[in-house]
Formats: sequence, structure tokens, C-alpha cells
Amino acid sequence: MSLTTRNSAPKWWDKKDVKQTFVFWVIITGLLGYIGGTVQVHSMGAPASSAMSQIISLMLTFTWAAAPVAGFVFAIMLTALLTKLHFGDNPPVDADTQVTGSPRANALWIVISAIFCLFALVVGLIALESDNEALLDKSAKSINVTGQQWVWSYDYTGTKGVRSETLHLVVNHPYVFHVTSKDVKHSFWIVQMGIKIDANPGYITEAAVTPNKIGTFDVRCAELCGLLHAYMQNKVIVQSQADYDAWVTSQPNTDPAQGGNA
Amino acid sequence: MNKRLFALLGTVILGVAVMAGIGTYVASAKNDSRVLDATPAGTFTTPEGQILNNFTLDLSAYPDSMFGGHGADGGAHPAWVSYGPGATNLRVPAHSAITVTIKNYDSGGSLRNDFFGAMRGTVGGTAILNGKVVTSIPSDKVGHTFTVHGMADANSQIFVSVPLKIAPDAEDVKEGYSKNPSVTTFTFITGGEGDYVWNCEYPCGDGTVARFGAPMSTMSYMSGHFQVVDK
Repeated sequence: MSLTTRNSAPKWWDKKDVKQTFVFWVIITGLLGYIGGTVQVHSMGAPASSAMSQIISLMLTFTWAAAPVAGFVFAIMLTALLTKLHFGDNPPVDADTQVTGSPRANALWIVISAIFCLFALVVGLIALESDNEALLDKSAKSINVTGQQWVWSYDYTGTKGVRSETLHLVVNHPYVFHVTSKDVKHSFWIVQMGIKIDANPGYITEAAVTPNKIGTFDVRCAELCGLLHAYMQNKVIVQSQADYDAWVTSQPNTDPAQGGNA
Repeated sequence: MNKRLFALLGTVILGVAVMAGIGTYVASAKNDSRVLDATPAGTFTTPEGQILNNFTLDLSAYPDSMFGGHGADGGAHPAWVSYGPGATNLRVPAHSAITVTIKNYDSGGSLRNDFFGAMRGTVGGTAILNGKVVTSIPSDKVGHTFTVHGMADANSQIFVSVPLKIAPDAEDVKEGYSKNPSVTTFTFITGGEGDYVWNCEYPCGDGTVARFGAPMSTMSYMSGHFQVVDK
């Protein structure tokens, strides 16, 4: 009799609500990964540097890594809402079957969480290392970036004191930006190139990028900096070497050392 | 169940009411609604030979708000430095030459960033300061700046920045302001439609927010909207 009972008891994975949860998990994971990834890539715009392409890949990787976790939670929630709703003054019979004080459950929870954190840390450190290498590129041109409420201005080192409020760059040439602020904290952000660095008064911070696409892109302030913060944005024009040289030539000489007017 | 339903509905209605209240308050406190339109003034021939419709704007910068758009009593902050004499929201036509004349009745000092000491975005990169053509003024002689910039809805962007020299006798103030302002006139060309802002880049606010507080952080004193519209 007891043998018959043991054989007829379904395994935990054969239970209806477990199967239902598994189906929900797969569907929700797919939806979260696909929709989350697509929306993010679309909102970040077309990349104009390899750094931005890396960021987009990183975001997609993290989205797909996080989707099963979120999907698992939502699947259990959905199963509970659909099949476990209980009304009345007394708790349901199976309310006492919750897992408490289980070393195995605790260990599983900690190990899986640690693996996810370690994965994010290692992938992130690899991405950051490529940024640090770009800062040491000796062939890079330097541009001094100054933030002031509520305008960015750019000084091009190695020129006759060229200054502008629109950033001009040569395509496929490495750049290092030396960023500071004349008043409060700002954040220098070239949206489509994946570069964002704080601009702090009295300090110089650095960021590097190599634009790989000709076009006009957006520079914004990413640190709430006062009344007209929303308008603290201008353009970056990425152009060929010939077009850049022509633009530099057309600018007034403001370097007194080269006979110009400051 | 009915109690739960009523509680749910009540929460939703209360939430919507709170959000609507915040939105209404923010909208009413947002800005001075008055607008100063540019005045037609014939035509203007660009250095490239293009003939454009010309419009003018006459503005002033005062050491207080007694002469601005805040009323004869200076409004809520009579001691705040202010542009005027009327509205600080400016509206100009697209694809036109805009000639701006600004009288500065105020004193000043040194710019934080000498980038704003040069005329930028004007025709020829110049302005006429007290009858003389200039491309820049010393960064320690600046009273205020008039700087148009920011997000545009149209493709074309405007960036115009003109420093205003301190008034020659700004320290000898009579009846509230100097009798001998510095006068700066410049012209720039507008592109397509767009919404911009203008503000002063000389730190003339109070001691807060790196001297960009008070009048520098409140619309209609040292800043305003700048709208480019189709005629």
C-alpha cells in the first residue's frame, strides 16, 4: 500500500504549478530580454565610436543576464496570482510549507548571486581597462573642455588658440579631453560616443575617445547644474581631416604667442 | 470587497489629484509669460551679399530690477540685477538678420571664463561698442554678457555670445542707475524655427551657487527664453 502511494506521488517538477511557472519563466525571460534590449539599443542611438559599441554590447549582455532572474520572480508572482489566490480569515493549508532555515537554499541563493556579481564585475573591469588604455595613447590630440552654467566651450591644443562652442573632431583619430568647470559641477557627455566624465571646479578629469563615424552628434551636461541645465547642450561635428583643417584655418588667431589677439 | 474597491479608487483619485496639483503649481511658477517681439527695420545685407529682412531688439541691463519688467517697485526682488526694460522672453523671425542694441548701466568685474570675452556668432564676429567696432573686450571689464544658446527644435543651432562692457560711470549712480551706459550693438542671422534660452555668463548673482544664484537662477532677471519663429 505504502509502495503504491510512493510511486503515484508526482515528482516536484511534474506538479502542474511548477510546469506552469516554468512556461511563464521562459516566456517572460524571452520578452524581457528582447524588449529590454531592443528599447535600450534604440534609446542609445547609433554608436559613433567603438567605446559606444562596447557599451551597447555590455548593456545587451547584462540585460540578457538579468532577464532570467527578473523572469523567475515574475513567473512565480504570476502563478501565485493565477492559482494561489486565497480569500478568508484563515491562511491556506499550504502556507506552512515555506522554506525556512534551509542551509541548501541559503547556499544556493548566495552562490548564484555571487556568480552574477562576479560576472558583472569582470566584464565591467575589462571594459574600463580599454578606456584607461585609450587615455595613454600618445598619438591622441588634446582638447580642453570647460563647463560653465550653461555652456560648454572647447580649446584645441596645438592650434593658434582656436576656441569654439561646437566641438570639432577628426574621424578615426584618438582624442583625450581634459575637462573642468568654472563654477559648479557639470558632467561632459558625448551621447553617441559613450563618453561621460564629471567636470569639477578646480580639478581636471580626463576621458578618451576615437570617433569612427562622420556626422553631427550631441553633447549634453549629465549633472543637474542649475536653472538652464536642460539647455546645456551643443553639437560635436566629426569630419574628415581636410574639412577639419579648413575649419581650423577659418578660425581667428587668438594665441598672442603666434601674433594673434587674445 | 466594496471597501477594497473604494479604497483603491480613492487612492488612485488622490494620487491623480496630487500630481495635477504639483503640475499646476510648477506650470504657474515656471515663467514670466510676457514676450518681447523684434521690431521690423528694413533689410540687411550680409558680407556675402545676401539681403535679409532686418529686425531690432533694444535691451538694457540694470543694477537692480526697478527698471525691468518687474514694475516700478522692482517686484519681489528690487535689489536684484536685471535685464529690461520689458519682458526677457524674446521672439524673433527665422531666416532674418537680428540687430540687438544693449545698454549696460551696471558695473562688473572679471569673467570666470574668458571665452565669453569675445564676440561669438555675430556677423563678422564683431560688435559696435560705444561707436567703435570690436571683436572682444578685456575679460576684467565685463559687466554682463548676452548669450543665446541651447537646445533647438529645428536643425539649425544658434550660438551668440556678446560681452557688455561695464558702464563708464557705473560707480556714480544717480536716481538708481548710471547716466552714461555702455552701448553695444551687434547683428546675427537666424536659421530655422527653434526654442533657445539666453542668459548672462558673468557671475552677477548672489553668493550662492558660485555666484550664479538668485537673479542668475531665476527666469526673467538675467535669463529668458529666445524663440525663433517663422514669420
